[in-house]
Amino acid sequence: MIKNVLGILIIALALVFETSFFPTFISPEFKPDLLLVITVYIALRGTFEGGAPLSWGIGLLKDLFSGLYLGLNAFTFLLLFMVIKSSSDRLYAESGELFVVAVSLATLGNVTVSALLSVMFTSSPGVAYSMLYSLIPHILANAFSASIITLFPLFSSPLPEADTP
Amino acid sequence: MELLKKYAAFILLGVACIAALAFYTLNIPKKRSANVIERVLLSLFYPVIKPVASISGTIDGIWNNYINLVDVRHDNVRLREILNQQNSRIIEADEISQENQRLAKLLDMKKKIRRTSLTATIIGNDTAPWFNTLLLDRGTTSSLAEGMPVVASSGVVGQIVKVAPSTSRVLLLTDHTSGIAATILRSRARGVVKGRGEGVCILDFASREDDIKVGDMVVTSGIGGVFPKGLPIGEVTMVKRGEYGIFQTVSIKPSVNISHLEELLVLTGSGND
Repeated sequence: MIKNVLGILIIALALVFETSFFPTFISPEFKPDLLLVITVYIALRGTFEGGAPLSWGIGLLKDLFSGLYLGLNAFTFLLLFMVIKSSSDRLYAESGELFVVAVSLATLGNVTVSALLSVMFTSSPGVAYSMLYSLIPHILANAFSASIITLFPLFSSPLPEADTP
Repeated sequence: MELLKKYAAFILLGVACIAALAFYTLNIPKKRSANVIERVLLSLFYPVIKPVASISGTIDGIWNNYINLVDVRHDNVRLREILNQQNSRIIEADEISQENQRLAKLLDMKKKIRRTSLTATIIGNDTAPWFNTLLLDRGTTSSLAEGMPVVASSGVVGQIVKVAPSTSRVLLLTDHTSGIAATILRSRARGVVKGRGEGVCILDFASREDDIKVGDMVVTSGIGGVFPKGLPIGEVTMVKRGEYGIFQTVSIKPSVNISHLEELLVLTGSGND
């Protein structure tokens, strides 16, 4: 119960940091996507039943404060969760290095899927150019924030869903 | 003989006085040079005076630099606190002064527009770097609605999208989905200002024949009825006419510095208010 509340608090805090704290100090390209990092963490360490709706919810939360298309990040986050989850059981998910690599690849996947969806379904395909323009700094920022997260003691503790058989 | 004995002390004293006076008067011409007695005495006292002077200096140093500094340390702490307080006041005053300047400019803009408007403060930015939206501290409870134009003291900022009871989001003019009917101030050439991300816009649908030059001011045309006519949008930074095609490519640098925005005006009423 405490871990669930703590998880919700971390997600809320990450959102507040992304919307109101980071933009003051960091240029948009280098602003880390903490919600994506959290989703990758859930995908690597959580269960499918709990993680899938949670990752969709985190994406939806991000959509509330990003762009005009509600559901874009929700879909991409769910897709990323399923892709990572499908292979995480065969990997040493507690590894910090794996986490950083997974976050980097997830960022690449997130941008690629978002760009594809924007080109296919929206009237502003030019946004794909902006996405590709800020891809490299975005990957670097996310990888850096992921590497910092691995230093936290909470990183090595299991998720509440993982406790249940 | 008895008389001499009786006054011997007085006589000796008198002789001594005379001798002392004589010694004094004889030494007056040699006042700038040391005589033998002086030299001997000074030489005798030198080995004693030097270490005593050194010890005195050490004691004086210990007193002034250590023992007597107890109060100085307290004074230092107190003065540092005062300095910190004064610095905080200066920073606060600077902040208030800058806010005052910004609000004064915003008020000037409000007077120019002559439409009912509402001041809003930015409380958040877009979470993704490729979308350009801002989060405002006002929503439907402040009578905000989707589509309302948003301006700053230096020009157009964007339009309200997605309104919640206490917050709303502004779609910036630099976003890829933004489009604002515009005209070139000098030549009256028309087009639509569209966002291109990275803080840049373009003037779309400007025909090849239109007279557009680098440095031209782009203002709202008022077509569509969303934005009032004549609000500054930006400045033309590049004009490119290809060999073919009916349009020319016009790049625009927005008048507002989006990364430094803090307070905005939301135009809530129509032009008839």
